[in-house]
Amino acid sequence: MKEIVVIIGGGIAGLEAASQLLKLGYSPIIIEKEDHLGGKVANWHKLFPDMTPAKDIVDELIASSKDSNIFLNTEISFINRLQDSYNIKLSNGISIMTKYILCTTGFRLFEAEKKEEYGYGIYNQVITNGDLEHWFNTGKDERIENSSMQAIGFVHCVGSRDEKARNSQCSKVCCITAIKQAIELKEKFPDAQIYCFYMDLRLFGKKFEDFYIKAQKDYGIHFIRGRVSEVSENIEGKVIVKAEDTLAGKPIKVTLDLLVLMSGMVCNPDTHKMAGMMALQVDSDGFLKSHDNVFHITSSTKKGIFYAGACTGPKTVPETLAEARSAVLDIHSQIISGQ
Amino acid sequence: MREIYLSGYSNFIIPFMIGMIFVLSWCIIGAIRVIMELSAEDRKKFFLSLLNPKIMAKNIKDWFCDCLFHVKLWKRNKLLGYMHSSIAFGWFMIIVIGHIEVFLYTPERIHQVWYPIFFRYFVAVTENTMKGSFFFFLMDFFLLVILSGIILAITKRIRSRLFGMRRTTRPSLTDTIGLYALWSIFPLRLLAEGFTADISGGSFLTKSLNDVLHFFFSDQMNMLPTWWAYSMALCVFMCVLPFSRYMHIPAEILLIPMRNAGIPIRHSRKGISRLQVYSCPSCGVCIDACPMSAVKANTRDTTVYLNRQIKRYNERRIEEISDKCLLCGKCTAVCPVGVQGDRLRIAQRSIRKYNISQDYSNIDTNSLKNQLNNFVTTENDFVSDIHNQKVLYFAGCMTSLTPTIMKSMTSLLKKAGVNYGIMDKDGGICCGRPMLMAGRIDQAMELVAKNTEIIKESGADILLLSCPICYKIFKEKYALEGIEILHHTEYIDRLIKEGRLKVRKSEKSYVYHDPCELGRGCGIYDQPRNVVSSAGELVEAEKNGKESICCGGSLGSLTLSFDKRKALTENALKNLTIASPDEVITACPLCRSTFNRYSQTPVRDIAELIDSNTEIN
Amino acid sequence: MSIFGFRISPSSAINLDKVDRTRFEELCRIEPDAMRCMACGSCSATCPAATFSGMSVRKVLLNLQRGKEEEAFRLMSNCMLCGKCTMVCPRGINTRHIILSICRIYEKEAGR
Repeated sequence: MKEIVVIIGGGIAGLEAASQLLKLGYSPIIIEKEDHLGGKVANWHKLFPDMTPAKDIVDELIASSKDSNIFLNTEISFINRLQDSYNIKLSNGISIMTKYILCTTGFRLFEAEKKEEYGYGIYNQVITNGDLEHWFNTGKDERIENSSMQAIGFVHCVGSRDEKARNSQCSKVCCITAIKQAIELKEKFPDAQIYCFYMDLRLFGKKFEDFYIKAQKDYGIHFIRGRVSEVSENIEGKVIVKAEDTLAGKPIKVTLDLLVLMSGMVCNPDTHKMAGMMALQVDSDGFLKSHDNVFHITSSTKKGIFYAGACTGPKTVPETLAEARSAVLDIHSQIISGQ
Repeated sequence: MREIYLSGYSNFIIPFMIGMIFVLSWCIIGAIRVIMELSAEDRKKFFLSLLNPKIMAKNIKDWFCDCLFHVKLWKRNKLLGYMHSSIAFGWFMIIVIGHIEVFLYTPERIHQVWYPIFFRYFVAVTENTMKGSFFFFLMDFFLLVILSGIILAITKRIRSRLFGMRRTTRPSLTDTIGLYALWSIFPLRLLAEGFTADISGGSFLTKSLNDVLHFFFSDQMNMLPTWWAYSMALCVFMCVLPFSRYMHIPAEILLIPMRNAGIPIRHSRKGISRLQVYSCPSCGVCIDACPMSAVKANTRDTTVYLNRQIKRYNERRIEEISDKCLLCGKCTAVCPVGVQGDRLRIAQRSIRKYNISQDYSNIDTNSLKNQLNNFVTTENDFVSDIHNQKVLYFAGCMTSLTPTIMKSMTSLLKKAGVNYGIMDKDGGICCGRPMLMAGRIDQAMELVAKNTEIIKESGADILLLSCPICYKIFKEKYALEGIEILHHTEYIDRLIKEGRLKVRKSEKSYVYHDPCELGRGCGIYDQPRNVVSSAGELVEAEKNGKESICCGGSLGSLTLSFDKRKALTENALKNLTIASPDEVITACPLCRSTFNRYSQTPVRDIAELIDSNTEIN
Repeated sequence: MSIFGFRISPSSAINLDKVDRTRFEELCRIEPDAMRCMACGSCSATCPAATFSGMSVRKVLLNLQRGKEEEAFRLMSNCMLCGKCTMVCPRGINTRHIILSICRIYEKEAGR
């Protein structure tokens, strides 16, 4: 009999894990609460640093995991722990018995309206990184006028590295995402001045620094070291952003046609619900707590429960995919040793 | 009545007299000291108030209601109220009736202070005095009332929750001695009178006790030790009184007329501050009231402990307690004697020595005045208004961080066709209240002067404020003759009443949070409720109005760090959302952002609510 | 000071070897938040006193740590204690307590 592995969350981590499990001859079941697979990446336009279309990646993952059992629009009603297995009851009435659960519940973007001083939901010219990707994909967003775009600003670290937003951790991918989006916007609006307001630029990944240099040299994007503290609106309906240029040591003010807030990654609230059902530990940053943060990132403290992707913290797409594979290997070796 | 002892004296009165003389002289010297410590102006005000029949009538009413009947405690909890008033009023009546008896039966002894207290020892009942059995009955009745109060007091020590108190004060050593002395006075009196009831007469209580006692003791001489014990208990109580919480009994008598005369706290320790500190009965009502008590470790930083530390001159703790406080004023609002915990703390903060002082003389107000004028002419926001009043909107520092309030407010002003200008669109000068709360009064007044200059020159008729912190200082410290100062809750209420804003009522339910500075600080409770009810169903929080709980974001606290405030905010939210409202409505930018951080329920300002429920006329 | 006929003006460089840290350490003892600044500049941008004396909590803390105390005092001279900096600080630093504590424990040099 083929061993069943339940994957909670049909984002890229879940899909990649399912496809690897299929290759190893297991029978993965994907439970996804949305009506589509691919999670947050499916809403994204292009991925750094190669500008790969997100759709390509998601399509490829869906194709390679199509033989798994997939439940869309399905949530978990409850999970019972038995002797050495779990009984999962789904919202569509189906129950599944399994010894192995892989949590790939991912993240959610910080709700930018919580940072009221940035005026998201108040001023018409303030959007988030998620809104911008949506616009790249669909071209539909009344807040972004296609014509006279003279100045655009990016605010890094919205809802991350911010104790007032109840998240003191770095969201890791926003710096490079801001640079990517700035380049994309510059391509759409070549005459616009683009400003990135950052606290620290954390460009740790492969090719990230090249991307930064390209943004400076080829696209003339202005990087200002200072966190935006106030956003107001003038009578022409433009937003005025106030920050300190900490390198110049002077307050700085700029009028913008569009302000993009780089909402950080925070843990999905549904993850907390699920963690409650299985008595999983939640870390101080709000994400799920791995067995340890060096050797066993993909293991939980509970037997048979594994993690992959952004449910344990902010991650890039390649990191998430790598974790999904690593988690599958962990599950595989546990299945083999159990027999 | 017939006297038994010609001298009208017995040795056992000596302890009582020692105590009496000590406590009386202590109190008289103390009262003179407090009065002398007042500033000349305040002292004059105080004496003049005593001649004012209206204030005097209030004094008499307060003496009875506060000192004897403890009306405020009755309102808090019936059992607690009964316990206090039974002891206080019962004791008072026993003293009064005692004097009446002396006056009626042995008028020549009235000048002997101890005579009314130990009356039953010195006299014997005769045939014709049995008509006075009415007084005997009253004496026994009030003794019973007191004894019931004492029984409740003992119960309260064990189970304070029965009396509506979650936490009580930890008594100091002298408090404990005083407490036991107080508890023993009346049982001992009952015992002493019980022994003599067959001679001196008595009623249902003492007479029946006498019968019981005679059953056990045949010897009349047993009565002397009980009278000694009664006198000793009185002596102990009076001797520890100045050093214990019972000092509040005499201190409150003086505090009431001073309070009614409106004497403010001007000095950290002297005058009215000293009087308030000694008037603190250590009842601990402020402990449960304090928003910081949501965290148990903070209960030692409540007003009752501040008073205790001031009495002990423990400067380190005084500083700690006064700097930590949120200055929400709730302890002042609930205090049964009227200790002003918030003002007392600001006074403690004001004596700090600073080596570096702020100085605003370099600030040129012209640039800020120009900002206003430019704004008015270029944006032409002074549109016509039926009253033709010019409204100057001062959003305040905090409002610039919650731009939604400012946006909603200007939108409302436009909808109502108000002739308005914004004073601090591009930055302004702080109102001075935060500086004042830090105890730096001179600096605060400099800021007040700068803003006054700008406002006076604007030619405005109404100064409109969105921030209750600003509102309080504008009301109290600014001299803006001819300019009406309004908080936006008041102004919106007025605009709705005048029909200039047409509010659509929604199906939703809203709870209104009273911001400290607006509610307790300025007494604005009704207008915001009128406004909220016009937009939907108004529900109340568990504790509301003058007992509303601070959001925890207050600028009042100097030392409370950000992470320590979370528990306070969550506690306040729990109180607010008790009726599961659809939204929390507040009227302070600081409360709004503080609640918004932790709330599951949406939080909005009253201006946002009305703006979203109003159409353009 | 004149050496070999040349006038040497006091260097504008910061010499950390010569910085006296005792008072800053005392400040950190009173308010440990003083060490938590990550120099994002939010406080400077929002400060109403910045337009008058260039006030910035970030700069004040930096100047104190670099031994430029007089500069820090100059910046602070128009602080109104309004608390906007506390509100915007992403690290939740109790800036008002820091400012008040500096005013208490530091002293201006005589003659200035």
